[in-house]
Amino acid sequence: MALELIVNVILFIMAGISFWYVGATMPVSPINELGAEQWPQALLALLMIAIAYNIFKYFKTYKKEDISTAFKDFFPGVLRFLQSKLFIGMIMLMVMALVYEPLGFVMTSFLFLAGYGILLGERRPVMLLLSSLGIMLLLYIGFSVFLGVMLPRGYVPFLRNLALFLESIFQGLK
Amino acid sequence: MLDLLTSGLAIVFAPKMLLLIVFAVFLGTLFGALPGVSATMAVALGVPFTYRMDGVSAIAFLTAIYCASITGGGMTAILFKIPGVPSSAPTTYDGYPMAQRGEAGKALGMQLICSAIGGMFAALCMLLLSPQLTKAALSFGPSELFAISLMGLSILSSLDTDNICRTIISGLIGLALACIGLDPLLGVPRLTFGTRFLTSGIEMIPVMIGFFAVTEVLKQTRKRDKLDAVGGNATFKTNMPSIKEMLSVKWTVLRCSLVGTVVGILPGAGATISAFLCYSMEQKLSKHPEKFGTGCLDGIAAPEAGNNSATGGSMVPLLSLGIPGGNAAAIMMSALVLKGVTMGPLLLVNQPHYLSATFASMLVSNIVMVFAAIIIAKLFVQVLKIPYSILGPMIIMMATIGAFATKNTAVDVILMAIAGLLGFVFVICKLNSSAMILGLVLGVICEANLRRAYTIVSGDTLFQATMNLLKRPVTGIVILVCMVVLLSPVVKPLFKKKEAAE
Repeated sequence: MALELIVNVILFIMAGISFWYVGATMPVSPINELGAEQWPQALLALLMIAIAYNIFKYFKTYKKEDISTAFKDFFPGVLRFLQSKLFIGMIMLMVMALVYEPLGFVMTSFLFLAGYGILLGERRPVMLLLSSLGIMLLLYIGFSVFLGVMLPRGYVPFLRNLALFLESIFQGLK
Repeated sequence: MLDLLTSGLAIVFAPKMLLLIVFAVFLGTLFGALPGVSATMAVALGVPFTYRMDGVSAIAFLTAIYCASITGGGMTAILFKIPGVPSSAPTTYDGYPMAQRGEAGKALGMQLICSAIGGMFAALCMLLLSPQLTKAALSFGPSELFAISLMGLSILSSLDTDNICRTIISGLIGLALACIGLDPLLGVPRLTFGTRFLTSGIEMIPVMIGFFAVTEVLKQTRKRDKLDAVGGNATFKTNMPSIKEMLSVKWTVLRCSLVGTVVGILPGAGATISAFLCYSMEQKLSKHPEKFGTGCLDGIAAPEAGNNSATGGSMVPLLSLGIPGGNAAAIMMSALVLKGVTMGPLLLVNQPHYLSATFASMLVSNIVMVFAAIIIAKLFVQVLKIPYSILGPMIIMMATIGAFATKNTAVDVILMAIAGLLGFVFVICKLNSSAMILGLVLGVICEANLRRAYTIVSGDTLFQATMNLLKRPVTGIVILVCMVVLLSPVVKPLFKKKEAAE
């Protein structure tokens, strides 16, 4: 409940800044043509109106006491969220996206599959390792070998050599 | 017409293409049957498979996935009371009670046959309607094309009538995001805030994959990891309905196929709306409405024929006007843009084999699907025993490959991850992801055509130019219709309130 209001306020501020920014940075358009700034400005203005109405509706729907209770619970809620599986999952997702190119597909996917598997409650280590390895190879062979989709090999020399080694093995499958 | 039909079948029956379609049908049915993998997500996950295909093969492949995923979704709806795709939700009402009575096989058989009939009916309509619409569309200028894209956006207020304001906010966010990058007419960087990463704009495919696939896995992270079939029975048989049973639902299937196709053609409305609409329509028309919800064959036939026919309908505006009829069609459009194929009226004039291949692919997919679904249904009870701890990360890795392969850049993977997290915020704040995607896809088309239209119509001021634009008959009428469609869900409740007060 509190998050909804916070997101709406952030969106309103961002829309306002963007409205000003696009007006300040775009070339001045002729008076009888729709310029580069007018379409986004029109959309952002509508967006701000819609958000303002949504905020108004928020205060109309919820009672003052409910809102203050929601804000009192907000920070403990944030702490609970930071300790939750979901937050760890989000961090893992972002880390995976960041290391996907430097570490390469083989290592990233294996680590992610195993790590996320643990997060989702898989407690059998052999099953976890075998399934992660199996899925990684399945995806690698399916996409890289058969479909020719480029998958990153990684920048780390050892991992790059590993990817090249796998590629050389699976070349025969083509 | 016959030429289109024969050329389409020639494309589809080429050995490599046929194998691809069979593979796509299996993949689509499996994706559709997996709870948490929507039809849109199934198409998005199918995109990486198309990177090495030519445009025609790609559209035939993705169409097959799309059709099959809608059908696959009905299987889990009947067996587990969990709709694999949102459009299968009404199938649970009668499918699951039948399964509980030990008639899962009959329910599945009816579902498959009705889906196939609905899909083939819509494919035929698509073949007949698309060339006519294309002919009309060729006489359209930028102002008319703007009006038609606005028609796609006008459905925003109807996407979620309980949350109109939030849906409009979501759509406007998508439209605003579409403005980021190089200006379509002047070529100057816009809303990039000085960073070069935003100069080429927000890539659609990673955002869509993030919003649909990654968000869904994050949502499922907190849920249970195993699904149980009805009564834990893994050895059921799929029985084809008897001729008598099929004849008993013939008018239901025909009506729902027709309604589904029309609903599918409307931009923004899709298989889900069609399925619910058909179910409620048939319940109202039925002589025994009390049987609906207790496990009757009409209750399965109606939503299944309705949702599958909407798939064909949604391809009509995509192929003839270049306007996606729904999210899955939008992804197909993006995948074809990557191949350098520009959707729109000229596509069918210059390259009619796109229409014929899509039609033939739908026709063949709907036939192959019946057999594929029988095999998959038998295996599926076993497949669903795979814990989500394995399935969830696998979906994310497939999504990652899809995002990376768009332009072979890790920036798109990061964009996908961010989109996934934002999608989750959307869920918490009850914003509408589909509306956001609709805005993102149609934003560029809308703006480019509107600005071109302003350049063409002369006027001393912007106001005068606007008036001149609205005076064009097609543009004026379509914009008027858009306003009615956009405002009716807002105005209707106000009138109802007034009536109630009186």
